Amino acid sequence: MSGQRGPDDLRLLAERLVELARRAGADEVEVGVGEGTEFNVDVRLGRVENLVEAGSRVLGLRVVKDKRTATASSSDLSWQTLSRLVRNAVRRAELANRDEFAGLAPLSATHVDPLALNLHDPEIRTLDAATKVRLALETERVARADKRITNSHGASFITNEAWTMLANSNGFRGEYEQTYCGLGVSLQAGGTDDRVEDSWFSSKRRFRELASPEEIARTAVARTVRQLKPRKVATQRVPVIFEPTQTAWLLGFLFSCANGVAVYQRASFLADKLGQRIGNERVTVIDDALLPGGLGSRPFDSDGLPSGRHVVVENGVLRNFLCNIYAARKLGLPSTGSADGTGVSPANFFLQPGTRTPGEIIASTKRGLLLVRTLGHGLNSITGDISRGAFGLWIEDGEIAFPVSEVTICGNLGELLETVEDVGNDLEFYGAIAGPTVKVAEMTVAGA
Amino acid sequence: MNDPLLIPREDLKKTLAAALSRGGDFAELFLEHRVYNSIYMEEDILKETSETIVIGAGVRVLVRDQTGYGYTNDLAPDKLVKAALTAAAIASTRPRAKVLPPRERHGPRRRVAETARPAHRAALARKIALVKEAYDAARGFDPRIKKVKAGFSDSLQRILIINSEGLLIRDERPMTKLTCLAIAEKNGLREYGYWGGGGRVGLEYFRDVMTPRTAGEEAAREALLLLEAVDAPAGEMPVVLSPGHSGVLIHEAVGHLLEADFNRKKTSIFWNKMGRRVGTEQVTIYDDPTIPAYRGSYDVDDEGTVPRRTLLIERGVVRGLLQDRLSARLMKRPPTGHGRRQDYSHWPIPRMANTYIDRGEYDPEEILRSVSKGFYVARLQGGQVEDSGKFTFSVSLGYLIEGGRLTAPVKQATLIGSNIEVLGRLEKVGADLEFGLQTGTCGKEGQEAPVADGCPTMKITRMTVGGRT
Repeated sequence: MSGQRGPDDLRLLAERLVELARRAGADEVEVGVGEGTEFNVDVRLGRVENLVEAGSRVLGLRVVKDKRTATASSSDLSWQTLSRLVRNAVRRAELANRDEFAGLAPLSATHVDPLALNLHDPEIRTLDAATKVRLALETERVARADKRITNSHGASFITNEAWTMLANSNGFRGEYEQTYCGLGVSLQAGGTDDRVEDSWFSSKRRFRELASPEEIARTAVARTVRQLKPRKVATQRVPVIFEPTQTAWLLGFLFSCANGVAVYQRASFLADKLGQRIGNERVTVIDDALLPGGLGSRPFDSDGLPSGRHVVVENGVLRNFLCNIYAARKLGLPSTGSADGTGVSPANFFLQPGTRTPGEIIASTKRGLLLVRTLGHGLNSITGDISRGAFGLWIEDGEIAFPVSEVTICGNLGELLETVEDVGNDLEFYGAIAGPTVKVAEMTVAGA
Repeated sequence: MNDPLLIPREDLKKTLAAALSRGGDFAELFLEHRVYNSIYMEEDILKETSETIVIGAGVRVLVRDQTGYGYTNDLAPDKLVKAALTAAAIASTRPRAKVLPPRERHGPRRRVAETARPAHRAALARKIALVKEAYDAARGFDPRIKKVKAGFSDSLQRILIINSEGLLIRDERPMTKLTCLAIAEKNGLREYGYWGGGGRVGLEYFRDVMTPRTAGEEAAREALLLLEAVDAPAGEMPVVLSPGHSGVLIHEAVGHLLEADFNRKKTSIFWNKMGRRVGTEQVTIYDDPTIPAYRGSYDVDDEGTVPRRTLLIERGVVRGLLQDRLSARLMKRPPTGHGRRQDYSHWPIPRMANTYIDRGEYDPEEILRSVSKGFYVARLQGGQVEDSGKFTFSVSLGYLIEGGRLTAPVKQATLIGSNIEVLGRLEKVGADLEFGLQTGTCGKEGQEAPVADGCPTMKITRMTVGGRT
């Protein structure tokens, strides 16, 4: 690892802080350290626009005293600062209320081998800047060679390499290395006053698995120009087909509702629905932290618990909430090893694919909206309500008729899951959350 | 404790020299030390407090429109030079700018921060009491309030900027924020309400301007109202926007696309519209980073420029852009002091501060009375815009307008429009200018910045409301 201290020093630092916190009066303590390097090049209109390279470190800690919790973090790793933070944290813990659910996770007998997860690509460290710049330039060049592309937000190539370690007073010691690389381009087509835009990217843990500049550019161009000369449709209720990029945010929303923290806070419409049917039989959702090379894979969570594979929804039945140790205790459920800092994050969270191709799904739709992009937030996990600005392609008699813009889609996640009519076979991971094409029976499309 | 920002001037100059060692027009070193404290209460207990320390330095080299950037958490002289050499990689063998001897400047005499009782110096117990007050006010408001979350945070960011043009400036930026979220339940139905406040203020604000009790009660009141709310209507209709909260619309519809970078790059719909009419006579918009105590305010921006109130749109005509140093230089315009960055690990880009539509002449009551059937936007959550001018914003609470009066409360809906079309339909602007909650954060290119926005009561003759009925 190309860090400034090197992991040996950081391991030792974590050990010393655990000891110090115990001596200062903490019953339990946990120390996490992250160290990373970042490279980023942005090119625009054929020239390098930004070039960034840097290394950074951060240390986080949690102390529990008499079931009272305090946390701290610092990017200043000097002993002077850290020892003061630890002592402050122990003092601050005394000001919090006693919480019977607080405390570290017990040491688990299960251990996931980080190397088996294939999270780290040694090649990324060896790439020279010129290669990375060339990839970004080439991606934008191919895209702009298409005459319909009238402006560009630019293309970017990014790499990250990170080392994570966790030590706690229950004896847990764990660490792993991971890499990430991404290449993407963001385009505009049309004139100033009738402009459309879109982007495409590829992101992987291994450099060799990244899509080629040509493939990324072609996809970005196609996604952009298909939106030219859009119309606004009349307000109506129609079937909506979510492209995989759109299924991904819908699943991200489902994750935020199946998040054990939101559940114990009763901030999720799924709070009372464990074991109940929340969707039809086409809906099976899995969170798998063990997918080799997965962008969301990890050997252990920030509680030091081993990762696993968890069925969240099985043929429409809600089977699991995703929990850190705290939410798990609050809900009387097992932890799913989903802790991330003070909250919960998805690992590889995906909807099981079906058998039909996206083309077949479109062809079987008499009239509806193929959703390709949304604008705005408009997701309420407490009610499940969805209301977002939408861009899409209108479907008439099983064929794409014209692009649609400046409309909104409105519905409720609970209702959508119950009325899934089709699930495509096109599952591909563009990020940690992924899903194939999905068709739902009906949403309100508000327009003119 | 040693001040980590007290670095010998020789080392700062050496860093700048290293940054320009391969050429370049300009080099800058941004040093930051930030202490951030937070307190969080839920489930009737004070659950957790936290303390965060951020330390770091970012070095930037500019070559015409190109930026090289390096950053580090370690402020040792050799690490600063290493970051500078990384940033230098952008340049190659062009004649390079000279490093001029630094002369320390000072920000404006009148500071934006109003902190009679600075939060970072107050005892933790005092801040905990504020959180409890908000929590209890929401929890005890009504038996239907089932869950409450309340939090308080304060931070003190200290920066030092030195650049190759001889600028050396320091700044201290305090910030506080108190928020409350209340969840109401009735017959299996759940809704939430939110309220909060803060800004560049001390603890006296929570006694004199917005009490924690108000935050708790307003959050509870909104949640309870939503329990009785009907689904939003769908389709095009007249829309009336509440004063203050609806400033989000101006932020999204206008503010972002008048940030200079999007115009320099000709990606914004406004790039060719300087001096041209894009809205009705009613529309005059400013961004003002100098409003005392406000969340979006600052004495100097993140590249050391003293900001000023900037006119963006005057009676419907585009008059100005939000400039940072780079865009200002490339566009040959004066900088406006809107170069902001999230922290040392990012370079500055043009950002909004406190954006608002100026007061008009209409009586707010009269505006409402002029709508026989339409939608009233009471509270908003945020929005998004793309360079084409299409924008959305999410309404967390609205009302139906029937016969010039507010009738049923309405739940969540997204409104969508094209900015120039909507500005052209901005028929009436009220005389009641207000700002929204001082808790907002704006995201752009992966960087977050605290902002505020405001507006008077306004009427848009026609806009698409994304409800379901």
